[in-house]
Amino acid sequence: MAYSEKIPGNQESMEIISKMIQSARKDIEDNSFYYLLWGWLVLIACVLEYVLLKSGSQFHFIGWVILMPAGAIATSVYGYKQEKRQKVKSFIDDVIKYILIAFLVVLVSVLAFMSKLGLMTYPLILMIYGMWLFTSGGIIQFKPLVIGGIINWVLAVAAAFVSFENQIILLALAVLSGYIAPGYMLKARFRQNAGRIK
Amino acid sequence: MKFKSLDPLLHSQLRLAIMSILISVKSAEFGYIREKTEASSGNISVQLSKLAEAGYIEIEKSFRDNYPLTTCSITAKGVTAFEDYVNSIQSYLSSGN
Repeated sequence: MAYSEKIPGNQESMEIISKMIQSARKDIEDNSFYYLLWGWLVLIACVLEYVLLKSGSQFHFIGWVILMPAGAIATSVYGYKQEKRQKVKSFIDDVIKYILIAFLVVLVSVLAFMSKLGLMTYPLILMIYGMWLFTSGGIIQFKPLVIGGIINWVLAVAAAFVSFENQIILLALAVLSGYIAPGYMLKARFRQNAGRIK
Repeated sequence: MKFKSLDPLLHSQLRLAIMSILISVKSAEFGYIREKTEASSGNISVQLSKLAEAGYIEIEKSFRDNYPLTTCSITAKGVTAFEDYVNSIQSYLSSGN
């Protein structure tokens, strides 16, 4: 219905307000890219490290050194482009952006102190992942991400008590349950919502 | 029971729709408002100017990829006016008027 300058009735006023607010709130951005990007990057880094470790390579950590900065760059570029093409900006987008920046700063800092943190590096990384998943999932009201965050925290505690090799397996499990699976579910939800709006 | 009179600036289908969109978001582009309200560009421009003159919204004009871009956001005065309007409407409705 095209709106005009016509004076609405009281009931009609409430209907216009409710319809417009609901419509604007439905226009959430598809943020699944970030979860899928980080999920796949971490999973690849885990598999690579496990294989290199088993083959006795000294540079078993090489995947992290290359893939994590690449992920940070890809995130920044995608975020910039996404912001540019957005027709509407919500307060939720702002909150998510700041949480994502905080997540990246802490993640890169932990990785920089890897040599000092030793065996506690991966449990810490899992804690940070869990925090991002839990908070961002809560904000966009998407339960699979919240559950993924809790799984990451449980695996972080478990990782503190196992060997380095087993930590890698736990990390791979954490990204599968916390990033990749919820990431695809989020993508599907967005497509479903977009279809409904059209 | 005494009723507050409705703000005439908000008591119009299109201006109310625009304000309802802007109260839900941080900012919205002109094209987005046109898409949601399905009103003509000319009519939207006129209504946006009226709302901006009253200090209810802020209009930012810029360029994106060499094309003019108009972005609107609600002001604190606009939020108060919108809240007052909703309260008045609710009191009218609850009294059965």
